[in-house]
Amino acid sequence: MRDYLELLDRAYTGEYISEENWDLEKVAATTRRLVKKYRLEWDRNQVIPTDHALIDSIFQAGLELAVELGVYCRSTERIIHLKPEEIEEGLRTMPKTLVMGEGKDARSLYARRIGDERAPLFFGGSPGSPIPEEYFLENVLSYAREPLIDLLTCGTLTEIGGRSVRTGQPLEIVATRRELQLLHTALARTGRPGMGMLAAQSSVSELGDLAVAHPNLLRRCDSHLVPLLNELKLDFRNMARAVNSWEYGMINASLPCVIVGGLGGGPPGSAVINVASFIVSNLVCLADYHILHPIHIRHVATSTREVLWVISAVGQAFARNAPAIIVADIYPKSGTGTVELLFETAANAIVNSLSACHLEGCGSADGKLPHCSGLEARWMAEVALAVHQQKMTLEEANTWVLRLLEKYEHVFSQEGGNPGKPFDQVYDLKTLRPTAEWQALYDQVKTELKGEGLII
Amino acid sequence: MASYLDQICQAVVEGDDVSIVEVVQEALKAGESPLRILNEGLMPGADIVGKRFEEGEYFLPDLMLAGRALKAAMEILKPLLASAAAADPSLKKAKIVIATVQTDIHDIGKNIVASMLAAAGYDVIDMGVDVPLNSIIDKAEETKADIIALSALLTTSMPYMKDLIDLLQARGLRQKYRVMVGGASVTPEWAESIGADGTGRDAVEAVRLARRLLGEN
Repeated sequence: MRDYLELLDRAYTGEYISEENWDLEKVAATTRRLVKKYRLEWDRNQVIPTDHALIDSIFQAGLELAVELGVYCRSTERIIHLKPEEIEEGLRTMPKTLVMGEGKDARSLYARRIGDERAPLFFGGSPGSPIPEEYFLENVLSYAREPLIDLLTCGTLTEIGGRSVRTGQPLEIVATRRELQLLHTALARTGRPGMGMLAAQSSVSELGDLAVAHPNLLRRCDSHLVPLLNELKLDFRNMARAVNSWEYGMINASLPCVIVGGLGGGPPGSAVINVASFIVSNLVCLADYHILHPIHIRHVATSTREVLWVISAVGQAFARNAPAIIVADIYPKSGTGTVELLFETAANAIVNSLSACHLEGCGSADGKLPHCSGLEARWMAEVALAVHQQKMTLEEANTWVLRLLEKYEHVFSQEGGNPGKPFDQVYDLKTLRPTAEWQALYDQVKTELKGEGLII
Repeated sequence: MASYLDQICQAVVEGDDVSIVEVVQEALKAGESPLRILNEGLMPGADIVGKRFEEGEYFLPDLMLAGRALKAAMEILKPLLASAAAADPSLKKAKIVIATVQTDIHDIGKNIVASMLAAAGYDVIDMGVDVPLNSIIDKAEETKADIIALSALLTTSMPYMKDLIDLLQARGLRQKYRVMVGGASVTPEWAESIGADGTGRDAVEAVRLARRLLGEN
């Protein structure tokens, strides 16, 4: 705690810089220089990099970026510099195992290795998607009842009793508490009351987060998000989330959403920024584990070639250089009721699983709509377990992903995306089973990939 | 040697905010009209930057650097163009006040749209992020803006866009401004439902929308 107070002091005493200059002269310029120095390049037909020297250089460049820049505190417009020994200490003390949940439902997350003998774990839910209150419980149940799902997450409640929830207003507190109550109801109904959660997704500001730190809501065995802002920035609101976990003791998940095509330029620079973001978030977000969620500047989705490459590069970089618990989430462009959603999810599941990450998903339809269901989370887990069990190599995986890209890449140029249908049109809300139509699409895609050699 | 106008265009494409000042000053000394520098030097450069960004050849820093170069050039040209506009009102460029609404601190989408609107020749007043609604309206009043452009990434910040439109109504100002809204979760249907004048999927569409709202195409 004393160390963190010292970091807070630095937010008041660090070097002043305008935000625009931080973005351009610090983040963009330094990243560009490091990409050049380490000759980092990517190949759009090699979405899973296999060159160890390249992977290690990305880690080294990210480490240099973190040491050279530190973090920008938007609240005071000052730089929080981090000493090299603090950064090293942060890397050394990152948890390598972490128990989430309790009792028979507890799961142990662990720092994965490339080619790890142990299977990845799966967070089921559609983090961030706006879900109507009227079927929020049913939506969450659709994930919680999936046997392959180990840990639960959820969308965001944007309305309470027909009233719009506004960030930072009293209803945010109500919504976040309601979210946690509904999650516990779902766990009880599925007979998995001790399942661990990544929750308080309805807390966009710090208000909801503060309001659920209670053993009946967000338990000590659950986790919440401590976001890092784009790029390498944070503010007092997010630092308050980290501070909120001190005495209470809930688990912190860092969330930098590095924009691929943003300040880091292309995939190599974005990977470097993502590595640096994890490194600094060990200290400023008090991260117990990291959410790997780079997004595409134009398409958002994690299933684009560029983002797949960044996920794989960052996952492998940590596995080889500084093992940490990394959960890579899946945000497909397409929504429920479309075959493309299943192809996108399969591509992401292959990449995330083989790049030493655990998996979370799916934020279907870019997480913009309530077009998400437990069925694609089951599919995510099935594909990831299949490639794990058949010991697929990175080279084989690359061939698979290129083949899958051919089946869904058209959605990125489709006017209006490929949103599919809302949850209540693809699931029977009484039986909590997929409609015949959605089930048939799932069966069709499964048969197709089996036919192509996936042992699933 | 390339003409002044070509050099100015190139400086925008390269995002060089130092040399552009020198070349613009030299061009003016040599007798180039400010309007020609704007339309045949800066704008073609901005078009190239926009196109390269759209095609994935340029990234966000390139866009921001080009925005800086444009801003530096416009600092010199603005007073001269204002005199010209006073003599001929058709030369006046529309003003756009842009902000990410209160409680939302996401700026990248808004920055891209602001840069592209500036590149399209509009006078853009960027108020930053987490801006209180009344401040946005006050700024629009103070600067005599034509358009208010609002951004929100967070679903739970989007209702503030509706609140701003309601506030414009309450203050009797709704008819004075066109209101554009944008953000990852904003759909045309939602924009219509809150009484906005339109939305665009990305920065390129935002420029098209601004042109349409101003009756320029």
